[in-house]
Amino acid sequence: MATPANEVPAIEVRNLHKSFGDLEVLKGIDFSVMPGEVVCVIGPSGSGKSTLLRCVNRLEESSSGQVLIEGDDITHPDADVDALRSRIGMVFQAFNLFPHLSVLRNLTIAQQRVRRRRRAEARDVAERTLERVGLSDKIDAYPSHLSGGQQQRVAIARALSMEPDMMLFDEPTSALDPELVGEVLAVMRDLAREGMTMMVVTHEMGFAKEVGDRVVFMDDGAVVEEGPPQQILTDPQHERTRRFLQMVG
Amino acid sequence: MTKRQKQRLVRGVLYLVLLAGVLAVGLLADWETTRRNFFNAQLAREMFPDVLTIAARNTLLYTFLAFSFGLVFGLVLALMRLSSIKPYRWLATIYIETFRGLPALLTIFLVGIGIPIAFGTRWPTLVTITLGLGIVAAAYMAETIRAGIEGVPKGQMEAARSLGMTYTWAMISIVIPQGFRIIIPPLTNELVLLIKDTSLLFVIGTTPATKELLKFGRDLLNTHANATPLIVVGAVYLAITVPLTQLVRILERRNARSR
Repeated sequence: MATPANEVPAIEVRNLHKSFGDLEVLKGIDFSVMPGEVVCVIGPSGSGKSTLLRCVNRLEESSSGQVLIEGDDITHPDADVDALRSRIGMVFQAFNLFPHLSVLRNLTIAQQRVRRRRRAEARDVAERTLERVGLSDKIDAYPSHLSGGQQQRVAIARALSMEPDMMLFDEPTSALDPELVGEVLAVMRDLAREGMTMMVVTHEMGFAKEVGDRVVFMDDGAVVEEGPPQQILTDPQHERTRRFLQMVG
Repeated sequence: MTKRQKQRLVRGVLYLVLLAGVLAVGLLADWETTRRNFFNAQLAREMFPDVLTIAARNTLLYTFLAFSFGLVFGLVLALMRLSSIKPYRWLATIYIETFRGLPALLTIFLVGIGIPIAFGTRWPTLVTITLGLGIVAAAYMAETIRAGIEGVPKGQMEAARSLGMTYTWAMISIVIPQGFRIIIPPLTNELVLLIKDTSLLFVIGTTPATKELLKFGRDLLNTHANATPLIVVGAVYLAITVPLTQLVRILERRNARSR
């Protein structure tokens, strides 16, 4: 991937600390994602990788440090958090679709309320993004009538319909039955191919190896090592990385 | 004795106790006097249609007004209790604890005599009634609504916020509608309680046109020295409340299934 030296990172995390009470879960993270880059964050549970992801769009308040979104500091007290968030798509482990709304309304409600799009325009965008995830026929369905894999694809479409500059994925396949994982990963693979900037917290080592431009291994609230997937996943430099890969591998 | 025989013996004894109770009431009560005083068909017939067109109508109207007031004000109180601003939380808590802790009759009475003293004039009866009963209803409903809002998974708010929605919009379009779906059964229960509590409104003072069911019945009891009106009025209450409690049962079963 060609990255001009003066390009502004899509996500830049500087010396980020986060504590829950006495428990320090992020111990000074420095981390960045360049535009168009797909970065997979791996690590044992409790390593702080989901917390890091949630700090990026400030669903979680950091204790200290900065997070810059395309150069704008989202951690600044005066930051327009809602406007910044609308540039960041987020996909949750538990899908979090709005169960009282149809698929179409799930995809249009934020477009209309946040992007101020007209109903017809929002619908057009919704139809297009649903097509991208292969669920055009489910436009009038309700979330409870969809399989887990379909729900997660709708959730991806919901985030995409805001036309975000980047996407955050928080273990997007961890809540799925094994046979439904593939369809979600396929959608994410397409997104990556189209050049979407992505930060993916995942346990899917195959996906990280195949799609990731870079893999970041976290343990105990710190980044242990990072680099090209080939290198991290097959020839890790640190003992902790090796142990983790043996356990999941 | 086998276990089975023992069970049969216990069941037999329970039936005997029931039978003895019924017999005792049947033989000891003065049925003729009871019939005359509680089941006077002539007097019951005379109560119609006023018991429906005036008394039941007023009961339902007062219930509707107090419920509407309680729902809106209760939602405000619930949001105050969930607010990040401490004084709002305190105010709401004090309000809720006060009016759930006081007898409803006392609150209604205070509103009834308090408004004329505080404002120098009598307010329209309907306004006083709405306030008197609604103030109490709001306190109970606030707790129910708060539980409903807190029952909506945290991920719903997070998903809405992650799309760039403000807290207010996320509340209005995502969290509150789902919260209300959860609390339809308990809210219907509160509606039933409210229907019965309209019987306390007599302390505000009523005219023949503003009597609700119980006051209507009690006045007839006094004029005729006969308890039949209470039986009739009771039957009307049941005709209103029992379908509602059955509805709650159906809704609860459906909620349990969808989960």
